[in-house]
Amino acid sequence: MEIDYLATVLLSSLSSASILLIATIGLAVVFGLMGVINLAHGEFLMIGAYTALTTTQWGIPHVLSIPIAVVVTMAIGAAVEILIISRLYGRIFDTMLATWGLSIAFYQLAVLIFGTVTPGIGMPHYSFKIGAYSLAGYPLLMIVVAAVMALFVYGLMTRTVYGRKARAAIQVPEMAQAIGIDSSRVNTLTFAIGCGLAGFAGAVLLPIVPATPSMGFAFVIKAFLTVVVAGPVTLTGSVLAAIGLGGGASITASFLTSVAGDAFFFLITALLLWLFPMGISAKWRRKM
Amino acid sequence: MGTALSAKTLMISTALALLPAAAFADTKIAAIFDLTGGLNIYGIQQNNALQLAVDTINGQGGLLGAPIEVVSYDAQSEQSKYIQYSNTAILKDQVKAMFAGLTSSSREAIRPIVRKANIPYFYTALYEGGACDKQTFVTGSSASQQLSVLIDWAVKKYGKKIYVMAPDYNFGTISAHWIKEYAKQAGAEVVGEDFLALTITDYAPTIQKIQAAKPDFVVALPVGANQTGFLEQFAAAGLKDTIGMVSTNYGSGNQQVVVSPDAGKGLIASQGYFQPVDNPANAAFVKLWQAKYGSETPIVSEAVDVWNAVHLWSAAVNKAGSADSAPVIAALESGLTFDAPNGMVKLEPGSHHLRQNIYIAEGDDKHSFKIVETFPDVAPTYENDKCDLVANPSLAKHFTPESQ
Amino acid sequence: MTFSEKIYRSAGITFPIIATLAALAAAGVMDPYLAYVATSWVIAGMLGLSLDIVWGRGGLLSLGQTAFYGLGGYFGSVIAINLGPVTGNTLIWSPPAGAAFGALCAAALGWIIFFARMGPLQSTILSYTFTLLLWSLTQSFQLDVGAASIGGDNGLSNIPGMVLGFGQNAEALGPVAVFVAAIVIAAMVYLLTRVLMKSTFGRVVDCIRIDAQKAELLGYDVRLFQVANFAYAGAVAGLAGALFGAWANYLNPSIFSVQEALLVPIYVLVGGLGTLAGAFVGAIAIGGLSYWLGGGAVGGQTTLILGIGLIFLVLFLKNGILGALGDLWRLSLPDHNSAARDANPVAIDPDVLEALLKDAAVRAGPAKILETRDAFKRFGGVVPVNKVCRTFQPGRPSSLIGPNGAGKSSYLKTCVGIYTPEAGSILFGDGEDITRVPIFKRVRRGMGVKNQKPQVFGDLTVFDNLWMAAYARTRNKNAATEISEKIMGMLGFTKQAAVQASVLSHGQQQWLDIGMVLCLAPRVILLDEPAAGMTNEETRELSSLVRILARHMTVIVVEHDMEFVRTLEGHVTVLHQGEVFAEGDIDSLRADDRVLDIYLGRRAHV
Repeated sequence: MEIDYLATVLLSSLSSASILLIATIGLAVVFGLMGVINLAHGEFLMIGAYTALTTTQWGIPHVLSIPIAVVVTMAIGAAVEILIISRLYGRIFDTMLATWGLSIAFYQLAVLIFGTVTPGIGMPHYSFKIGAYSLAGYPLLMIVVAAVMALFVYGLMTRTVYGRKARAAIQVPEMAQAIGIDSSRVNTLTFAIGCGLAGFAGAVLLPIVPATPSMGFAFVIKAFLTVVVAGPVTLTGSVLAAIGLGGGASITASFLTSVAGDAFFFLITALLLWLFPMGISAKWRRKM
Repeated sequence: MGTALSAKTLMISTALALLPAAAFADTKIAAIFDLTGGLNIYGIQQNNALQLAVDTINGQGGLLGAPIEVVSYDAQSEQSKYIQYSNTAILKDQVKAMFAGLTSSSREAIRPIVRKANIPYFYTALYEGGACDKQTFVTGSSASQQLSVLIDWAVKKYGKKIYVMAPDYNFGTISAHWIKEYAKQAGAEVVGEDFLALTITDYAPTIQKIQAAKPDFVVALPVGANQTGFLEQFAAAGLKDTIGMVSTNYGSGNQQVVVSPDAGKGLIASQGYFQPVDNPANAAFVKLWQAKYGSETPIVSEAVDVWNAVHLWSAAVNKAGSADSAPVIAALESGLTFDAPNGMVKLEPGSHHLRQNIYIAEGDDKHSFKIVETFPDVAPTYENDKCDLVANPSLAKHFTPESQ
Repeated sequence: MTFSEKIYRSAGITFPIIATLAALAAAGVMDPYLAYVATSWVIAGMLGLSLDIVWGRGGLLSLGQTAFYGLGGYFGSVIAINLGPVTGNTLIWSPPAGAAFGALCAAALGWIIFFARMGPLQSTILSYTFTLLLWSLTQSFQLDVGAASIGGDNGLSNIPGMVLGFGQNAEALGPVAVFVAAIVIAAMVYLLTRVLMKSTFGRVVDCIRIDAQKAELLGYDVRLFQVANFAYAGAVAGLAGALFGAWANYLNPSIFSVQEALLVPIYVLVGGLGTLAGAFVGAIAIGGLSYWLGGGAVGGQTTLILGIGLIFLVLFLKNGILGALGDLWRLSLPDHNSAARDANPVAIDPDVLEALLKDAAVRAGPAKILETRDAFKRFGGVVPVNKVCRTFQPGRPSSLIGPNGAGKSSYLKTCVGIYTPEAGSILFGDGEDITRVPIFKRVRRGMGVKNQKPQVFGDLTVFDNLWMAAYARTRNKNAATEISEKIMGMLGFTKQAAVQASVLSHGQQQWLDIGMVLCLAPRVILLDEPAAGMTNEETRELSSLVRILARHMTVIVVEHDMEFVRTLEGHVTVLHQGEVFAEGDIDSLRADDRVLDIYLGRRAHV
């Protein structure tokens, strides 16, 4: 095994893990802070991607289309929270089913509005050479993006007043209201942030994963498994789970076949859930 | 002598008397395509082509003196709907012919149904090849048909080392088999292959494996929108300059529209039809199409497959003088030809597949293609070899090269 | 019971039978095409039934029922392709084979989920993943089994239809006959399911759904029941899958797709979660709706409509059609819960209680000793149980007191098995080490627990609550009825036998909980703050109860109420910061300055 092949495998596996983490963070926030499993998370990712795609087609550079995508998904997320999620707190299976219905509805709407073929935006042509191998640069950039995203969310949740309010509002809503926190507003904001993170992911990953109505579906399975395996300390747990599962799957795919990589992901997930029925971070004592 | 002559006259006059009666009965056909759902890029065009063909024939006086009637169903890109609507079309609408399906699995679901009902069924898309059934007629090209000319051409242009990137199901695995076959015939070698699940979005491992194998060109068969991501990543890693990229299904779903100009330029595709094909029949066809459906979306090969199928069936009905299954199938097996937008095509009597031109096109940087080579009159040799429904009318099988 | 009530109670049998007969009659005049389509609705109804068994009765939202449907379908069809030609008949092969394979796969997955004691969310996601994994793998899975050829994405073709006759010339049934066959099979499956769910097995499953921990605290091996229920549902799904294969003559990986999986919860929710028959109602409603909408523009958006429909169902129509009908009907029935208002205050008759306890001792054996040696439990940096050594014996009640955070409840939970200690051992009876023994086994060996909050099965009546406890012990229906009636009488709840437990007041629920524990005839009983929320009179009765109990079994009481502890006249242990701080009788402890210190927070050593 040549050293440069090994190095490229490690780097690109880290990049795959980062892409998974970028897609997962929004889900981890919503689940960790609200206990809500949003099965439409992948579709918010798709909405972000299509928003970014449409704005780039209008001439706006891709970098600027990302914040627009975030704003749009946050707005839609807030509406969904007010109309649907807020009526279902505490009913975890009902939330899952309702968001599942929502995801199917969004998917079909996307097919109706955008059709199944829309021009993509292509990847910037930067590449790195490591020995005899050349790696596309943009996916490697995702490692940096994922790290920044994780740190940003961690800071938001633990260091800001909003973050403390959000955690209080979920843990003991009536008590939070008793001390003047408008828990329903805070919850709407938290869900909207989770959706905004999904929209960010869709927009930022657009050069790598072309916008299609079914793109959410491809990510969503692995994102869920990552969050569920992560356990109660959702952010840190998800980072670890993404690196372990996503990176591991990518390494397996590099040495065997991609089907083997997928199988690795699912089987290790089942194994981890068997060993840690409540998630790997069930016994940790960190905050987030 | 006298009585024989008068008997003959009696027969002829009886036939003539019956003919108008048959002619005034409306002929109904079923069109079941994916008008909604993930596959509608193909389904909408297939349905449009069918309507256009029917309108054209009806405008010229219809079939056997009466217009063709179409019952149209939307399979919604869902397997279960194909089964349901095929049965509806047969049991309720009592159609005389069926034009349906895109994926091989939809065809396999429909085949037993049309077999039981004994009506002609046209499968109108490119696929892995090998379908063999008295009632089934295929106007799409088969993988062996496309690859037989593509591999040879690509080896001459790029070199002898080939890497295969294919989706992990029948179409991919069978195509990979043919690539190895034709590579051997051309003196080339498959240095690596990777089969990707349809939900994969991470192509980095594949790209690394390709680089490790150092091929002269890659045969990529991207299925689904996800896999166009592969082409982008390949280009972004700067590999297009040193490694060629060819495909048998790129373009069949207008992937060239999705892929960015940088990534699409120089990609080689091989199919039975591309809109830029230059001949009088295609010029007329495109004009007709664009008048009715606009010129925004390029016409895909599946649409022309449907157009050809309707015209071939209608020719068979005219030849048989009736829309009933037995005479029509016999007529379809008589070696019909048709001046199609993709050149002169011939329906092979034994295998029920289409002998047609295969075009090699190169992607440009304007989301379109340029035809670089035309291989005329390519026969579906594998199907002709395995499947002779004239000699063995009771065959009902899907031949795959691995199960020999 | 009024006539209306009798019909209501047997509605689960009478209406489905009427519906079955009506469907069979309709089949006689039905258009073959409609019969063909309607068969798929009946099969879908069976698939919905399998989900209702797992979700409506078992309490787990499984998104994996289509996995067993597809697996059963493939397996049954392969068997039918190969063995059908041997006998001519296919109905003796494919449905049983499909059911068996579905049950096997479900048992395997169920074993993983329930024996690992996964949380509900993890279980649902795992079941969903299982289905998606199958979908992904079957697209490239190719296998030739005899005459059957599974062709990956091209699926499994040439599946024979339903053949009822025997011999080489037996023909496949026509559409109307197939419809009739499907109805008959569905009716049999439904009736079997109903019988099963009404039996004690089904009743235990209901209890597990309502409160799994309480069911375990009664001594039921919850995991076994859950796996068995899941496996049975897998069998139903597998059977439906085999029938589907015979109907469509073709199967392919799309049976494992998300769109198929989405339909199943919709059927169940539309019909009514937990009603069993609702699954059929939902499937026929959705199927019929799709049929009438046809293939036009509206019908083409079926998935979109279903997605939005699911949202509305979840938000607004929680009970489904049958559920809503049942609620309406119940309004006109006599209300048994009104008897709750006439309850007398609980008055324990000591003689009755003594007789009960002597009886229990005869059946269950003598009282047992509970001992902990250096029991140690930590949660990260917090150590609520720090090397506690205690021995508890029958004769006088043993009390555990201490200030907040002393570790009293944690110690109790460690003895019960809700917490597993990191070190130390717990011995029971003749020195048997039960440190690693699961909760339900400890209960079966004679440990009875009453937790702080009253844990009763709210949806069940008072009598049924006691009966489930007594049955757990005796595994004999008559003995269970006898014991429940006696305990009910002792508690003064005879007139409230048919009252739903959720309607009782907090104090009444506490007494019911105590009654349930007594039904277990425990040899050691642990009571966590039993007097909490009780009135003064009730506390007096409780004290008398506890003292009588202590004469026949070992009693350990964790309490805050000092007066109550004093009335128990038993041995008292003071816990502080997880350790034994002092012990003795209540009066000497109350006079002890050190004890007062830790309660009032005085001086340094607190």
